[in-house]
Amino acid sequence: MIKNGLLDIFTIWLDEMKKVFRDDGVRIFFFLVPFGYPLLYTFIYNNEVIHEAKMVVVDQSDSYWSREFTRRVNGTADVQVVSTCTNMNEAKTMLDKKKAYGILYIPSDFDKDLHRGKQATVSLYVDMSSLLYYRAFLMSATEVSLDIGNDLRMHTSSAGSAQLDKIMVEPIPYDSVALFNSQNGFASFLVPGILILILQQTLVLGIGLRGGTEREKNRFHTLVPISKHFNGTFRVVMGKALTYLLLYVINCIWVLWIVPRMFSLPQVGDPMTVVIFLLPFLCACIFFAMTLSGIIATREAAMIYVFSSVIMIFISGISWPESAVPPFWKFVGLFIPSTPGIQGFVGLNTCGASLSDVAKQYHLLWLQTGIYFITTCLIYRYQIIKCHKQVVRQYRYMKMRKMLEVK
Amino acid sequence: MTLKEGLHAIEAIFKRELHLLTKTPTFMICIFGAPLICLIFFLSLMKGGLPKDMPIAVVDLDKSALSRNLTRQLDAFEQTRVAFNANSFYEARKELQKGNVYAIFFIPQDFGKDASLGKQPHLSFYTNASYLVAASLLFRDMKTISVLAGASVGLQTGRAKGYTDDQITAALQPIKVDTHAIGNPWMNYSVYLNNTILPGILQVMIFFSTVFAIGSEIKYGSSREWLKMGKGSMLISLLGKLLPQTIAFTAVAFLFAAFLYGYNSFPLNSGWGPMLLALFLLVIAAQAVGIFMISVLPTLRLGLSFACLFGMVSFSIVGFSFPVAGMNPVLQSLADLFPLRHYFLIYVDQALNGRAMIYTWSEYIWLLGFLILPLLVRKNLKNALLYIKYIP
Repeated sequence: MIKNGLLDIFTIWLDEMKKVFRDDGVRIFFFLVPFGYPLLYTFIYNNEVIHEAKMVVVDQSDSYWSREFTRRVNGTADVQVVSTCTNMNEAKTMLDKKKAYGILYIPSDFDKDLHRGKQATVSLYVDMSSLLYYRAFLMSATEVSLDIGNDLRMHTSSAGSAQLDKIMVEPIPYDSVALFNSQNGFASFLVPGILILILQQTLVLGIGLRGGTEREKNRFHTLVPISKHFNGTFRVVMGKALTYLLLYVINCIWVLWIVPRMFSLPQVGDPMTVVIFLLPFLCACIFFAMTLSGIIATREAAMIYVFSSVIMIFISGISWPESAVPPFWKFVGLFIPSTPGIQGFVGLNTCGASLSDVAKQYHLLWLQTGIYFITTCLIYRYQIIKCHKQVVRQYRYMKMRKMLEVK
Repeated sequence: MTLKEGLHAIEAIFKRELHLLTKTPTFMICIFGAPLICLIFFLSLMKGGLPKDMPIAVVDLDKSALSRNLTRQLDAFEQTRVAFNANSFYEARKELQKGNVYAIFFIPQDFGKDASLGKQPHLSFYTNASYLVAASLLFRDMKTISVLAGASVGLQTGRAKGYTDDQITAALQPIKVDTHAIGNPWMNYSVYLNNTILPGILQVMIFFSTVFAIGSEIKYGSSREWLKMGKGSMLISLLGKLLPQTIAFTAVAFLFAAFLYGYNSFPLNSGWGPMLLALFLLVIAAQAVGIFMISVLPTLRLGLSFACLFGMVSFSIVGFSFPVAGMNPVLQSLADLFPLRHYFLIYVDQALNGRAMIYTWSEYIWLLGFLILPLLVRKNLKNALLYIKYIP
């Protein structure tokens, strides 16, 4: 009995493999997308940070220090001063024409205030079409203002000695360190999450398409074909799941290991730990997908599911902090493998956590695997019973027709 | 064919299509279900505009009155919440790696004593930049508290020496940078993201729905009947078929606008006209691209795959999060192939910044230009409608 079961699993596995390679829709989602999309997304964000953001300076002071300020701001890597204007209207027109995205305004009494020992103010006006520009302008302007501040104090302070100068001027120095993604890069932050999501979504779409094709091709439009091998629920589910698992191990290697390496994304996780973590993630995704494929009726309808990708990225807590996600959506997120998957993977891969650090996510993934395995078995059981009933009904109908003919 | 005959044909196909739309649940999900779910999700997710009370860990090795005061003040900031008081940096780092906190604020031993003695104790803070949004906001708060700590000590010692407050401020911070964020002064993330994400979802759904409508006709073999009703003219057939969807999607788009600019009062510095026009142009441009997709790949499943994949890339390449100017030049030109890109540029200029429409005239032309795409492939589509036999 067990030997039969194992043989059946093997047959189903082989059958599913053949069908996967034959179906061109599934080929796109199982192979083409996991191959190309990670490359595309990493390429889009590959520059990580923006450099030489365009800014225009309105210098109404026209003194040594205001020109020095402009020079130093232009000298930073993040900002490029495209021109210096004489008044705000000219600067505004440049913004309107999108020749620049920010205005640095130095008032006419800038130099006077500096030398008088009064606090001088420069104003920054930023087009908020991109927060990265805002950050670039603000950081550069602040850095230069602190720099020039220090230089000025060298000239003007009279506290007695250089050390006393420093103490009066910076009583409590501070340092900031950006951990794990030290350049605050966009790709390093967002792409690991996107990669995990691509694996999940392609699995769901591919398995959904397979389900749709089966319904189209099978005689009674059920999920399971009529065959003596497809009698047991367990063997059907295991056989199919094994196929997808094996195919996706290869996908994982490309998507999560080779592509990040190619684009120099952070990869500080212990490989064995990441593999141990990915096992329940893949299983949870596969059973999640198989459950969904049981519910969705046609192969085309399965593709609508793709719009949920944007929702899932935000629920996962990578782009919008988890602490700020409303409890209702956090609860919904618990049912989706990508939520713990992304959190755990970012922790392991980018932050160098150990498996015990991501235990919460790890346990959740195994729990999801268990629950979705049960639901998948239930759905397939229902399908197999439905299929049998159809066969019996068809047989009885044929028998009746034959009896009538003979008469 | 006279104009009157043409209009009759369009009307007949319109009615047929209405019947098909209401009969198929896929269309209802596509046109109403998915966009509404996304609307509810995104607006409720970012309701506060900025995330509040993000957890950080404080490593306070001093535990003096000054350091405890600092911790309390840091907790009082709106975006920051001191969730974990660690006894060592190792403990705090572990919490950081687990994802329970997003930043660590480190106060060294003898901080209070050293500060009052003038020994320049160092404050340091660490952000987990794998969560960029949280890290940037917490960086701002922690930097402010560090600067304030220095300022308060400096103020005390300066006053003791007999300087005025003005002189002390000038000594501590000779140049102040005063920022004005035009258009979105509250740095509201909902304004920043949702104004492009929601039309983006609509765009994907329109691609999908257009491809699905035309592709289903081919798949189920009813395309000849449809073409016959259109008197053999691609223009009449397509107009009649897609008009119900145009009306439905424009209605949903205007509903989005009502929620974004009406209910949520997001910046609409140009008034309703340009934005409603831009939304309508986005809808018809997306439909045109959808027609192009199914004409180039006349099989339903391939056309839909193209629609999904093209639509999903648009969220990244359009440049509302990472600017297009920062991308590789190849991608900068590729971005123009997406209708959403031009909608985004129109939104930034008109709604966010209140500029005159003349500054974005080229984007409006681009959106209208997408309508030429179906003309280029109409022969291909007509052949597909007449001669293709569906093979599962």
